[in-house]
Amino acid sequence: MTVDIRHMRPSDLDAVVAIERATFPTPWTRGIFTGELLQGESRRWIVVTSPAGILGYAGSMQTADEAHIMNLAVRADCRSSGLGAALLADLMSDAAERGVSRLTLEVRPSNAQAIALYEAAGFHAAGERPGYYSDTGESALIMWTDELGSDGMRERMRELMERGRRALTERWSSTASSADAARPALILAIESSCDETAASVVLGGHEVLSSVVASQIDFHARFGGVVPEIASRKHTEAIVGVVDEAMREAGVGFGDLDAIGVTYGPGLVGALVVGVAYAKGLALATGLPLVGVNHLEGHLFANNLTDPTVKPPLVALIVSGGHTSLVHVPAWGVYHTLGSTLDDAAGEAFDKVAKLLGLGYPGGPAISRLAKQGDPAAIAFPRAMINSGDYDFSLSGLKTSVLTYVNRERKAGREIHAPDLAASFQAAVIDVQVSKAVRAAREYAVSTFCLAGGVAANAALRDALRVALAAQGVKLSVPPFELCTDNAAMIAAAANFRFVRGERLGLDAEAVPDLPLEWAFPPRAQGES
Amino acid sequence: MTLVLAIDTATEECAVGIGDWDGAAMTILGETNLDVPRAALTHVVPAIDRLLKDCGARIERVGAVVCGRGPGSFTGVRIGVATAKGIASGLAVPLYGVGTLDAIARRFVDHETLVGVVGDAMRKEVYPGLFRCSHGRVERLGDYEVTPPADVAARWADESAGETILLAGNGLAKYEEIFMAALGDRACVVPRDDWTPTGASLLLQAFAGASGSAGAGPEAGDGDPATLLPIYTRLSDAEEAERARGGAALPASGVTGPEGPRS
Repeated sequence: MTVDIRHMRPSDLDAVVAIERATFPTPWTRGIFTGELLQGESRRWIVVTSPAGILGYAGSMQTADEAHIMNLAVRADCRSSGLGAALLADLMSDAAERGVSRLTLEVRPSNAQAIALYEAAGFHAAGERPGYYSDTGESALIMWTDELGSDGMRERMRELMERGRRALTERWSSTASSADAARPALILAIESSCDETAASVVLGGHEVLSSVVASQIDFHARFGGVVPEIASRKHTEAIVGVVDEAMREAGVGFGDLDAIGVTYGPGLVGALVVGVAYAKGLALATGLPLVGVNHLEGHLFANNLTDPTVKPPLVALIVSGGHTSLVHVPAWGVYHTLGSTLDDAAGEAFDKVAKLLGLGYPGGPAISRLAKQGDPAAIAFPRAMINSGDYDFSLSGLKTSVLTYVNRERKAGREIHAPDLAASFQAAVIDVQVSKAVRAAREYAVSTFCLAGGVAANAALRDALRVALAAQGVKLSVPPFELCTDNAAMIAAAANFRFVRGERLGLDAEAVPDLPLEWAFPPRAQGES
Repeated sequence: MTLVLAIDTATEECAVGIGDWDGAAMTILGETNLDVPRAALTHVVPAIDRLLKDCGARIERVGAVVCGRGPGSFTGVRIGVATAKGIASGLAVPLYGVGTLDAIARRFVDHETLVGVVGDAMRKEVYPGLFRCSHGRVERLGDYEVTPPADVAARWADESAGETILLAGNGLAKYEEIFMAALGDRACVVPRDDWTPTGASLLLQAFAGASGSAGAGPEAGDGDPATLLPIYTRLSDAEEAERARGGAALPASGVTGPEGPRS
């Protein structure tokens, strides 16, 4: 549908305030609308959306079993089209559902068009408020409906709803642009696959309304890596607060959402379980559809999230503490893993070398900082599998070489030059990654290459890749830092893609710790209907 | 009248119950108890969905959620707790915890007796809970802990002072003989079907408000889904190793701080 009614959001206020100013002599301020949106359950604020923007809005306030229509306006070029009826019908039917018995409102006696609409909806004059309008000193006409349950009102509301429905579906959908046929979906996504508890609300796969990440890194640091049981416990502790904060920052309620997305693999099974269980409970309670997301597909979508021009066909390198893979993406949803690490992930190798050098955890930032002051050619570490002819990686041999080097130097009583060691180690990792990346881009003839995952934050890797790919005429895309490391905005972006395709996760879904990217979406759940 | 949903997945049983709390008494509307070892994540939400339908109730009418907090399988407990948090958050209703061992003891509330619940903690240890059932109430005698079965058996033999003890809990599958040896004729192992919590026992125990400080009930705890946590009794292995070296106490949250244990 191209024209629709939905809840008003803070991001609508520019358009709403513009219509308000153009409509009323004594317009409400932006502050009043902002305050109204924070009032919660007692208020209902809605807007008419279209490809041409917001066309109108209305709001009501419920007190006990009465409701007050507080404001209603339609953009000047769209009046007399039934949109006012559609807005009023929505507020009235919502009020009826909430058990409201009667509605009231104030209107300028001079506003004949509005009064005609309200009378058609079953409102009748019941008195006046003298001197209500400060600009003209006009009194306000007070109007009330009869009992919503009465036969007369039921008939009026049925007619109003029909008029509103016709306005939205027939008149407007035929005249409005068909460029954006689908209303953008509002998705809450939850991510708990490793040591970050994250939640995010994203509109239409691109507009990030909130992205909250609770990092547990301090709780794992002294162990030199992620302790799975601690991760699971911290997720359990944080998940409600993180989701609540994401919803609050986005200024939406569960009722505004179209779907819930959740990472169900790959990752630490105990950690994934917490997010999946919570998301399933939330989906059951809210009646919202649940969409399962492959964590790696989320990393790929991090590129498209902020830059919609980044599109397949492309090749991507996913490098993080848990993953190192080269992936060919001919189209979204179609993934061919060309190769991956046979042992340690790149981030893991950085962590282990950092531990060896006593640099603390996480190792990536510490090593890349140190490497800036060192000579990358100082120590000749092996470039494992650089000429293997395939796209697999091996990093444990490099780690052993570093260890051997350190032991040999210490035994010989020589002091280790940490910056040189860090720079040489980092160069060995980068050389192999860049060499395979360039070869894959050439073999699959793509013009776009995406870097994804936490190690994408490594500036030396980014720079080396950019230069090498540019020489081939290939553009490198790297998400902003906060979207490289684990986050839920990227999960929401991938969930949006899956949601639009109609894919859903059953309430009997499992967490799948070794979920392959090729299997980004599972076969239909068995047993449950 | 408040519709209450209860779940527990701390044992191999996935227990779900729906009751109606009228402010003074709990009426059980229905329960489902599935024997699904290590498969709670798959079964618990569909089981809730089905039970609601069977009871003719809609999820949006649920006014409070109860979940078993363990102790039990760490992952199992978290499945129940996280699911319950999702449901309570989504409905914006309170979430109350109940001890899993307490809910097991609740099954014997009609007897005037001591009840020893022995939860399997793996690694040759158990989660023991000694309870006194009397006049329709269940009182827990002691805190949650994890300990070798022989130590508990000896202690219970001592504390029970000649009384009969009903024994229940999945720890008995491995350690029944140890308890029989220590307690002799005074031990009475209940049938295996009664070793786990049920939907009904969770509802009744949570709203009895009689299980001591860690128990729940509408009057105990603030009902905030964000703050409810599992009962672990053990730290992660990594932290336990550290704690063994430092001799620090177990933190209530089940996770030590970034700086590690402080003795």
